[in-house]
Amino acid sequence: MERVMKKTYKRLKGSKYLRQRLLLSTLSTTPIIISDIRPDDMPPGLRYYEVELLKLFELISDGCVIELHDTATKFKYIPGVLMGGRNLVHDCGKYRSLGYFLEPLIVLGLFGKKPLSIKLLGITNDSKDPSVDTFRSTTLPMLKRFGIPSEGLELKIECRGSPPNGGGEVVLKVPVVQSSLSAVTWTDEGMVKRIRGTTFSTRVSSQFENTMIHAARGIFNRLLPDVHIFTDHKAGVQAGKSPGYGISLVAETTTGCFISTDTAVFQAKWKDEDEYEDDEKKELTPPEDLGEQAASVLLGEVEQGGVVDSTHQFVFVLYGMVLLDNYFIK
Amino acid sequence: MVEISEQPHKSHRTRQAGPSARKKKKPSDGAKNNKNPKAFAFNSTRKAKRLQSRSTEIEQRKLHIPTIDRSIGEPAPYVIVVQGPPKVGKSLLIKCLVKHYTKQSLPEVRGPITIVSGKQRRLQFVECPNDINGMIDAAKFADVALLLIDGSFGFEMETFEFLNILQVHGFPKVMGVLTHIEGPDAKKIRKTKQRLKHRFWTEIYDGAKLFYLSGLENGKYHPREVHNLARFISVMKFHPLSWRASHPYVMVDRFEDVTPPERSHTNKKCDRNVTLYGYLRGCNMKKSTKVHIAGIGDYNLAGLTNLADPCPVPSAAKKKGLRDKEKLFYAPMSGLGDLIYDKDAVYININDNLVQYSKVDNENGEISGKGGIVDKGEKMVKSLQEVKYSINEKLEQSSINLFSRKPPRSHNTNGALLESEIEDLKLSDQDNSVEESETDESDKEIGEEDLEESESSDQEKANEIVRSTGDGSDGESEDDEHLPHLRSDSKEQVEFHNGRVRRRAMCGTDIDNSDFKSSGKDDEDSHSSASSNFSEEDEDDPKIEEDEIENVSKWKESLVERTLSGQNTNLMQLVYGKSVSNSTSSTDEAHCSEDEESDGEKFFQPKGEINKKSSDGADDINVNDEECSKLTISVKQKNWKSEDLVESIRDHFVTGDWSKAALRGQTSDVTGEDDSVYGEFEDLETGEKYESHQMDDAGTDTDINRKGDEARRLKKLALRAKFDTQHEESDSPDEETGKSKGTKFHRDQANESGYFDKLKEEIELRKQMNIAELNDLDEATRFELEGFRTGTYLRLEIHDVPFEMVEYFDPHHPVLVGGLGLGEENEGYMQLSKGFAQAFQIRKHVIRGPDFKEKVKDWWDFVVEGRRGKVFRLKLKILKIKLMKWNKEVTDNIKRLPVRIKRHRWHRKVLKTRDPIIVSIGWRRYQTTPIYAIEDLNGRHRMLKYTPEHMHCLATFYGPLVPPNTGVVAVQNVSKNQAAFRITATAVVQEFNHAARIMKKIKFVGYPCKIFRKTALIKDMFTSDLEISRFEGAEIRTVSGIRGQVKKVSLLGTGNPIKGARLGKIRSC
Repeated sequence: MERVMKKTYKRLKGSKYLRQRLLLSTLSTTPIIISDIRPDDMPPGLRYYEVELLKLFELISDGCVIELHDTATKFKYIPGVLMGGRNLVHDCGKYRSLGYFLEPLIVLGLFGKKPLSIKLLGITNDSKDPSVDTFRSTTLPMLKRFGIPSEGLELKIECRGSPPNGGGEVVLKVPVVQSSLSAVTWTDEGMVKRIRGTTFSTRVSSQFENTMIHAARGIFNRLLPDVHIFTDHKAGVQAGKSPGYGISLVAETTTGCFISTDTAVFQAKWKDEDEYEDDEKKELTPPEDLGEQAASVLLGEVEQGGVVDSTHQFVFVLYGMVLLDNYFIK
Repeated sequence: MVEISEQPHKSHRTRQAGPSARKKKKPSDGAKNNKNPKAFAFNSTRKAKRLQSRSTEIEQRKLHIPTIDRSIGEPAPYVIVVQGPPKVGKSLLIKCLVKHYTKQSLPEVRGPITIVSGKQRRLQFVECPNDINGMIDAAKFADVALLLIDGSFGFEMETFEFLNILQVHGFPKVMGVLTHIEGPDAKKIRKTKQRLKHRFWTEIYDGAKLFYLSGLENGKYHPREVHNLARFISVMKFHPLSWRASHPYVMVDRFEDVTPPERSHTNKKCDRNVTLYGYLRGCNMKKSTKVHIAGIGDYNLAGLTNLADPCPVPSAAKKKGLRDKEKLFYAPMSGLGDLIYDKDAVYININDNLVQYSKVDNENGEISGKGGIVDKGEKMVKSLQEVKYSINEKLEQSSINLFSRKPPRSHNTNGALLESEIEDLKLSDQDNSVEESETDESDKEIGEEDLEESESSDQEKANEIVRSTGDGSDGESEDDEHLPHLRSDSKEQVEFHNGRVRRRAMCGTDIDNSDFKSSGKDDEDSHSSASSNFSEEDEDDPKIEEDEIENVSKWKESLVERTLSGQNTNLMQLVYGKSVSNSTSSTDEAHCSEDEESDGEKFFQPKGEINKKSSDGADDINVNDEECSKLTISVKQKNWKSEDLVESIRDHFVTGDWSKAALRGQTSDVTGEDDSVYGEFEDLETGEKYESHQMDDAGTDTDINRKGDEARRLKKLALRAKFDTQHEESDSPDEETGKSKGTKFHRDQANESGYFDKLKEEIELRKQMNIAELNDLDEATRFELEGFRTGTYLRLEIHDVPFEMVEYFDPHHPVLVGGLGLGEENEGYMQLSKGFAQAFQIRKHVIRGPDFKEKVKDWWDFVVEGRRGKVFRLKLKILKIKLMKWNKEVTDNIKRLPVRIKRHRWHRKVLKTRDPIIVSIGWRRYQTTPIYAIEDLNGRHRMLKYTPEHMHCLATFYGPLVPPNTGVVAVQNVSKNQAAFRITATAVVQEFNHAARIMKKIKFVGYPCKIFRKTALIKDMFTSDLEISRFEGAEIRTVSGIRGQVKKVSLLGTGNPIKGARLGKIRSC
C-alpha cells in the first residue's frame, strides 16, 4: 500500500551562490540540480575550487551523491547525512584560499553526528577571501554568541601558504551543537576598546612585518593606545611554498563585538587567470602601504558601525536561517 | 446467683514484657513528651537532613527543561482517544460525555466528534478501533487516552497492547476507566477495584488515575459519574511530546472524494483526488510540506487551505460558563453538523428520514393562513422544492439578472453553528460539469451583487439559511423581489450519498468570505483568531485558484482579480510587480532588487549573498563567479591620516566621548531601520531558500517595517515590561505548582530554582519577542514565513491516492496525516523492496575502500586478443560488470536503519532474521525484513539468526530515515485474527546511516593440501576466485582452534588439472 514519492529536485541555474546553495541544500536535505554554470565562459562549467568544495561536502557527509555532467555546466547533488568525524584531510587546491572552504564548514560541522576535525591544505592567506587569522580571531569568538560550546571549537594554523603555490595547513575543529542554536539579540555595538592583529610573512624577511605594524600603529595611535599587533613569521616548511606577507586586524568593542579586516600581498604567477595579472602582477604593495591600507579599512568598518563586519555577515545570515527564533543583529 | 454476681472478675493483666507491652507504651510516651507533635516535626538533625534531601529530590525530579512553546493562538481541540476491548462501552462513554457537554444525544459514534467543552477548551473524541493499525494510529495523535477496562472481566490484551504502543510513541496522558462494575456484593466490588487499580499502577505509575463507572441507568452511565469524569478531563494538563511538537499533523475528521466524476466513472480503479479536513496540530505547516497518510503513503500537498473553524471557541466575554448556544459540536462523519463548509461551497446534510416534501400549493395557503405572513425561509424552501426543469433547460431559458435590488436588512437570531451566514443560497448538483456550466452566468450575478454590497458596506445582507431539522429557519420575511431572483439561480439536486440525502449549496468563494467577515462584525463575536483566518483565506485564494486552473473557467479569472483587488495591497508587489513562482529566477531578481535598494547604504550589503554590484553586465558575471564573502573595497580609500576624519570617528572608540556614543546608539536605533530591514531580509531568506514559492511576496515587509519599526520597538519594550511585572507579582501559570510547593526550598535551593526560573523567563521573553516580531508583519508575509498556525482548521487536497482509500474508507478508522520533517522522506527505500532497477552508481565508501585500487588492477590485468581499440572497449566492459557485481556485494546493506530492539516478553516466539515484520516509526508503519545482530565485545556487529531470549539486540532494516531516539513498535501481522499478544517487539532508533556493517559467521569446509610452517594452502573452501578475493583478509578459525587469515588465491602446488579447484591460503599466527 505504501507509496513512494518520486525524488524531487530543486532546480537552480547559474553559478552564483554555489556555497550557499550547497549548504542550504545539505541542511534542509533537499536534492538540487544546478544547471547553466558558466555556459559561455572558456573553459565552461565549474571552477576547480568549486569541484574541491563539492568534494569537501562529500567528505564530511555520508551517502551524498554528486553527479557531474560531462561539461561541468550542470550537476546533481543529493545531500547525505552529515557525519563529521576526526582526522579528515582535504586538499583545497591552489585556486582559492581556505577561507572559502572554512565558511561553510563551520556551519555544517555543527550539525554533524560527530565533532568535526579536519585538516585543510591549501592557501591560508590571500586578498580575496577572509584569512585564517581573521577566522581565528573574529569568527570563532562570534560563534560563541549562538550558544556553541567554546571547547572543541578551534582553528590551528600549522603551516602558512601564500598564493600561488600554497602549502598551508590548518586544522579546524568544530563541536556538535546539542539541541539547537540559541537566538541572539545583539544590537549594541559598543565602543572599540582594543585593537589586536596578526601579521604574517612567508618566505620573505620578517622585517616586512615590523614595517606593516609600524604603519598600522601610526594610524591607530591617534585613536587608541591599546593596540597590539603580533608577528607570525614562518620559516622552512611552515612557510609554505610561495612568498607573501599580510596583516589581519581586529577591533574589539566594549560589548564584545569583533570587527576585522585583513589583506595580504603575494606574487601572482598565474598566466591563465587574467584578473590576478591585472590586479596584482603590476606591482606589489609595499608593506608600509599595506599596513596603512588595512588600518584604514578597519577604521572604515568601525565608522560604518554594526556588530559584525562586512565579511562575517554571511555567517550570521546562515545562522539566522538555522534558528527557529527571530534574531536581532545590527 | 448472688454469689456468682458478686464474684469479682479477674482483672486484665497487662503484659509486662514482650512486643505487645512495648507496643502499647509508645504512644503514651509520645503523648507525654511532645505536647504538640505538629510543632516539632523532628528532633534529630540527621532525620531533618534526610527529609529535606528527600523532598528536594522529589522537587527536582519534577523539573523539566523548559521548552519554548511556539504555538500561537487557540490550541487545536485536544484529542481524547477512547480505547478498550470490544463491548466494554467505548461508544456509550463517548455518547454520555457528548451528552454531558452539549445536551444532545448522539445516535452513533462514527469518526471524530469535536465539542466545545469550556470557554477555552475544545475536545475531540475518537473511538479507537481494535485492529492493530487503528491502535497504532490512534496512539500517535492521542492527547489523552481513556483506557476502558471491563471490571467484570479484568484486563484484556488490547489495553496492554495499546499501552505499549503509547509508550513507544511518546506517552500522552492516560486515564483508566473501569466499567461494568456492578453486582450485589459491595465487598467483592471493592476488592476488584483494588486489584485492578494496583495492576494498572504497575503498568503506568503509582497513583495513576483509574476511574470507576458503576452500572447503567436508562442505558447510560450515571450522569454524576460522567460529570466527574468530564471534570477530570477538563483540568488535565498536557506536556508537549517531542515528536509531535516538531511535526505538523492533522487528525482527519472529514473526508471527501473530489475526483472528477467522469474519471472515476470510466475507470473505477483510477487514482483518486481526495480532500481531508482537520485541525492542524503539532507545529506550523507550510504549503511545501510533504505529508504521510498513515497506511497510504507519502504525498505532496496539492492544495492547502484554511477554512472557517467549524467549532469555534466562544468569545472571551466575561461570563461564567458556556451559553447553550456555544455548546457546539461537530461530527461530520457521524452525520451530525448539518452544515459543512468547504473552500468553495457549503454542504447541507439532511438525514433520509427527515426529508419530507410538502405539496407546495396546498400547504402554502394553509400556512399563510395560519401565520399571517409567509416565512421567508419557508418560502424559499418551497421554491426550491418545485423544480420543474432540469438545470440545462433552465439555463437556456433564464436571463441574467445583473442588478438585483438590495433587500432590506434582516438579522438572524439563531446563534448556533449551523446558522453561519450564507448569503445567496444556490443549490446545485455536486457534479462538476453541471456546476461549471451553470456558474458561468450565475456567478456574474453574484459578482455584481458582491460589488454592490461592498460599496455599501454597512448594509448587511439578509442571511438565509435552509435548516433541515427541527429548529427551522426563522429568517424574517423578505420582500418578494428577492425571491424570484433566488429562485432563478438556485437549483437543487438531490443525491443519495452514504444513505443520506445530500444537497450542495453552491456559492462563490468571495461571497463566502465577505460574508464571514461581516458576520463576524455582526455577531460581535470578534474572535480575533477567526477573523484573521478569514482574511488569510482571502489572500490565499488567488494562489489556490491558480493551482487548479484546469477546471477554472473564465469567470474565475475575474474572481481572482477581484479578490486580489480586495487584498490589502502589498508594497512589495507594488514595487516589484506580481510574485513570480519560479524560484530561482525570483530569487536572483530579489537579490538584484535588494542590491539596488541598498545602494545608498553600501555597508549593509550581505556580501556572501549579494556580491558587489557593478553596472556593466560583463563585469557583473565575473564578480558573481568569484563568489567570496569578503568585501572588495569599492569605496574609495579615505585618508585616515587627516585630523578631521580621525575626529569624526573618535566617538567610536573608548577614548572618545562616551555620552555621545550612547547617543549614537539611540539615534541609530531610530534611524537604523535599515539594519533591522536587513535582519528581516535574512529571515525571508530562510523562507526563500527552504521553500520555493512567491518570494517577492515575502520580501515585502522590508518596506513595511520601515514604518512600523519605531512602533514595534515601543511595543516590545511594553511587552517586556509587562512580562517583568507579571513575573514579579505572580508566577507564570505553568509554574504555579512548582513554586507553591517549592516555597520552602527556595530558601535553600535558591540557586537551582533561580536558574530554572531564569531559564523559563528567558524562554518566555524569547517567545514574546517572536510574537511581537511576527505581529508586525502583514498577514500574507506572515503566512509565507510561518505557514498555517496550529489550531487552524485545514483542508488538505491530495491527488492520486489509490482508489482503495476511498473504496474502503471507514469512518470508524481514524485517518492520520502527518507532516514530514526535513529529510524524513529521503529514502527511496521502496525502490529496493519493490525491485525497481537501480542505476549503477558506486558509492564513495566503495571507492575509498582500502582494496579498491588493487581490485581494479586485478580485474584489468588479463589478456584479450584483438585490435587495440577493441581490446580496450572489451576490457572496459568486463571491468564494468565486475565493478557492478562487487559494488552490489559491498553496498547491499546500504540505507539501513539500525534500531535497538527487544522482543516483547509477552510475545511467544523469538524473531527470525529476514522474517517480515510491520514496524511503526514516526508517522509511518510499513513492513520490512530486519536483520538482527548483536554487538560483540570488539565492537563488531555479528549477525543473529534469531533474536536473543531476554536481551536487546540490534535490528537493521530498510526504511525512510527518522531521527535517533524515535520509538519503534513492531507487530508480526495486522490481520484480525489475533495472536495472544500482538506486539512483537519494541525498539528505539539508534542512528541512521547510509551503510551498516553486519558480519556473518560462516562455516566452510576445506582440505589442506599443503602445509608450511605458518601457512597452509586450503583446497575447495571457496568456489571461485571472486569469492576468495571477497574474503581476503577475513579472520578464520578452525574447529580445533587454529586461527588465521585468508591471504590470497594461490595457484601454487595445485597440480590439479581441474580449474574449479580453488585454494585459499591460511596463515596461522
